[in-house]
Amino acid sequence: MLQALLISNGLQGLDKYYVSSDLMQYTTCLITKDFDPDLMPYDLLVVPNGSDHVAMLKIKDKVRAFLNAGRALVCCDGFFTAWVPGNQWRMDNSRRTMDVLYAPGTDRHHLLDNLNLDELNYSHGMTGWWACGYIEAAPGADVLLADTWQRPIVVLDEVSTAGRMLLTASGPLADVTYAGQSDSALVALYRNFIQLLTFSIVPAHG
Amino acid sequence: MAKIGLIFNGVWSHYALATAPKYRDLYELLYVHDLTAEAVRDLDALAIPFQSNQAVLTEKKDIIYDFLAAGKKVFLEGDSSTAWLDAQWEDRPVNNYWWVTDPTNPPVSDTNYDHPVYQGLTPRQACWHTHGVYTSVPAGAEILQTNAEGDVITWQTNRYGGTLLATTLDPIVEHGVQQITHLDNYVDRLTEWLSGVRPEAGRMTIDAAAYGVGAAG
Repeated sequence: MLQALLISNGLQGLDKYYVSSDLMQYTTCLITKDFDPDLMPYDLLVVPNGSDHVAMLKIKDKVRAFLNAGRALVCCDGFFTAWVPGNQWRMDNSRRTMDVLYAPGTDRHHLLDNLNLDELNYSHGMTGWWACGYIEAAPGADVLLADTWQRPIVVLDEVSTAGRMLLTASGPLADVTYAGQSDSALVALYRNFIQLLTFSIVPAHG
Repeated sequence: MAKIGLIFNGVWSHYALATAPKYRDLYELLYVHDLTAEAVRDLDALAIPFQSNQAVLTEKKDIIYDFLAAGKKVFLEGDSSTAWLDAQWEDRPVNNYWWVTDPTNPPVSDTNYDHPVYQGLTPRQACWHTHGVYTSVPAGAEILQTNAEGDVITWQTNRYGGTLLATTLDPIVEHGVQQITHLDNYVDRLTEWLSGVRPEAGRMTIDAAAYGVGAAG
């Protein structure tokens, strides 16, 4: 079982979206004024939608060291401060959301398997509902999904550090299945990454 | 000079609105963990957005009530904890698509369009979706919006000295997100009510220089 540290800035209901299972044990870290968590006991750092990127900037050196120790990061939020090694989220509202469609790109680890892309492209027939802005991806990182204008929306970065990063342009992900329902695309993508972490070490450590 | 303090939980949508060129001279981000009475002393109003850290706000509630006692304005949106507010908020499922699936049954059924924030708004501009309801509000509070079941969506009170306007709408967060394109109408009126200054007309834009290494940490 992997151990994950779930960063929380006190939003209501966060625990409903990340539920421990036989694959993953979540420990919640509540941000305080003196936020300075020890990351090293964990395999995965989860920075969910609606997170505090002022606090994350304060520990950016710790995050880099954690990743360079071969660990992993999921950030499915708008990381407007410069704390994610090699990558930067950018807000942009110059394109119409109705024109947004995501297309698959490089997917060497099959993170898009069993993922119904229509669920990310459409909600009640409307497009542009999931992600916001785009990611300036590190050179050499895999762009799993790009938008209509070929801007990175989901990135797997195994090159900027010795660890792995799964990043979305503020598109929420979740680790929960509700009462026998089939997994949504938000869960499928996340769990494919967990499977990768569980069964495949980072190439740099091979 | 900024007139409105935007209580900031490090969330990107809060940041996007407060750093947008049409709003950045009027709003000042006040990081919630650094919030002090001194930081708010020279401001005219406070805005507390959806996705705030309600536990920390509870610890610092005296700052908010002292600000109100000085005769100033506070705007509170989205979910809110009764630990610091003299009202009962309850969660409800968020309906983002009523306008597609059931357009004759919006989440708000009655609005007081005489209030300065709502004057001139169309019903669609006055409600997009709600995050729960208030099942009780302070005695004597003015009810500004309700849903079809009679639950309170928006209310206002002067019982603490200044004016506290609370709603389960989330105009600050959603305008920052920019997936709903008509929210300049609501937020511009809200900003004018809070600060006395009407933002420049036109759609909110983004300053790319405010992101990445240029972001205020």
